[in-house]
Amino acid sequence: MQTKSVRHRGTRELAGYLPLIIFAGVLVYISVNAPNFLTLRNLELILMQSLPVVLVCAGLGVVVMAGGDDVVSGGIDLSIPATAVLSAGIAAVMLTQGWPLAVCGIAAFIACMIVGLLNAALVTRIGMTPLLTTLAMFVAVVGVNNVITSSRRINVDHPFIVALRAQDVLGIPLGIAVVAAVVAVIYFATHKTRWGLHLQAAGGGRDAAEISGLPVRRLLGQSFVLAAFTGFICGFFVLARGSGSSPGVQDNLMLEMVLATFLGAAFSARRVVTMWGAVLGAVLVAAISIGFKSMGVNVFWTGLIKGSLIVVVVAFSALAQRGR
Amino acid sequence: MIWAMLQRFGFLLVFGAFFGLFAAWNPVFLQGGNLLNVIEGSAVLMIIALGMTLIVATGGIDLSVGIALDFGAAFAVVAMKSYGMDWFGATCAGLIGGSVVGIFNAILVIGLRISPFLATLSTFFIGSSVQRIFTNGGGPISHRRMPEEFRNLALGDIYGVPTEAVIATVLVVVYFLILERSIWGRRIHAMGMQRSAAIVAGIQVNRILIMCFIAASVTCAVGGLIAAANIRMFTPLSGFSYLLDAIAAVFIGAALNARGRPSVLGTVAGVLFLSIVANGLNLMGLNFNTKDALQGIILVSALALAVAQQRARHNFAS
Repeated sequence: MQTKSVRHRGTRELAGYLPLIIFAGVLVYISVNAPNFLTLRNLELILMQSLPVVLVCAGLGVVVMAGGDDVVSGGIDLSIPATAVLSAGIAAVMLTQGWPLAVCGIAAFIACMIVGLLNAALVTRIGMTPLLTTLAMFVAVVGVNNVITSSRRINVDHPFIVALRAQDVLGIPLGIAVVAAVVAVIYFATHKTRWGLHLQAAGGGRDAAEISGLPVRRLLGQSFVLAAFTGFICGFFVLARGSGSSPGVQDNLMLEMVLATFLGAAFSARRVVTMWGAVLGAVLVAAISIGFKSMGVNVFWTGLIKGSLIVVVVAFSALAQRGR
Repeated sequence: MIWAMLQRFGFLLVFGAFFGLFAAWNPVFLQGGNLLNVIEGSAVLMIIALGMTLIVATGGIDLSVGIALDFGAAFAVVAMKSYGMDWFGATCAGLIGGSVVGIFNAILVIGLRISPFLATLSTFFIGSSVQRIFTNGGGPISHRRMPEEFRNLALGDIYGVPTEAVIATVLVVVYFLILERSIWGRRIHAMGMQRSAAIVAGIQVNRILIMCFIAASVTCAVGGLIAAANIRMFTPLSGFSYLLDAIAAVFIGAALNARGRPSVLGTVAGVLFLSIVANGLNLMGLNFNTKDALQGIILVSALALAVAQQRARHNFAS
């Protein structure tokens, strides 16, 4: 009897690690077939490529924590990529007009905060569902950004933006260091502080949190503002990655963000969206895209591979969940 | 008294205000020809939004409606171009193409128990990739010598009414009868509101979900047929542009509904609102970017207003 139950728990735990095992398998397959894949230079490249996605994933992670992980009725913020592009657009236009970086930063910051506060107000005051609010906000913000940039590509060669891409600090690329610091601060705030625990309680069980006297709506509102802040920072990394602002970046960023964040849930023990899961998801998705590219796989196939990955990973984690 | 009126008719008043503004700006807006244009131009969006209404009514969401549209167009065009089928064969092929997407969604959602959002998102990724592989990167497949009957799906008219408007109207009526006036519709709404209660009540939830996913994607494929007939070609990935508008139309409609549920008539109102705003802004002769931005801002405000009105009504009633 006892051995049987132990063995069962063993298989269950194994099933819990399956998503990671699948990813590890794919990465091993890539590194066998593309010899340059596992070099330090290439891994650094993968990290650099994934930075914008990592930032927006961290923001989305906070909103999901505060609002619950039911995609349709819970917390989700699809507008973060649009906020990021807005930040990039404002900064790019103002930098080319010769404004100092600090002024551009403040202008972009104010614009992003307006988006975040609007999201928060629409969701918590009027009571719109986050999915609907942020989807509509995505459309509106992208529209406004297209007016600001006239849907043109704007090259930016400001030293700060170039430094984000190319400069090293103590041997670590500056961009990676900045993103790591931002993610660490958000992680600390959401996991190690009283505020963060309240936030998680609000998302984990809304009614219970309300009964115990937590300001659930205010916490959710704050999470939207924080998400807009990650979008603001992400804007500068979008500029750095693309050497400027180009129209259309937001669509891909949104798809990658959703993919990475919800894949990340499959890595956590309780199958919920976590900060580390989201970040790990973002890096792994970038690794796999770059890996298949360096193997010489036609880019037309990447969507198919990503889609199949969601299916396989999410299906397995659902399977592991059912075993409980 | 005035407040109560605002709560009841607020959205209608705003709708009227836009109508008046557009009419005052450009007299062409009110001409019969233009209004007919609006209805004709909104037919494809109307059809996609109907499919979306069905899925949202079950409590899910379908991000792959655009893929179903693309598959419908692709299967029909290829059937005519490569296999020389007549219009009827091509139409059937298109509908089968759409149902493939629905069956795939159903397998993911019911078979593998993936949430509809993630399942249809992966269908979107996979479907987009399949189209790019099939067309070698996304080039359109054009078929200039389409059978006249197939072209008439978009360009013909029945007693003076454009065919696409007729098709959309017929679908609206069918959807209305099924979703709002039949026992199946009651079951669909029941599972959308309280899934577990519906299961306890003995409703075959899985069977209904499978049917809904297939019905929705076949409906979207009809939109694909019209789009393909209209431009005489299949353009890969063109369905994506309808996704956001379809979701917006369904949720504007749900907010206008007395019980806050997605409904066929609400969706019709949502689609007409979006189409009239788009048309009116076009006639104002604004710069393309400005028009886009205004449309987005109006979308956010309209949704906020519709939801606020709904909440106010609930508070008023209780």
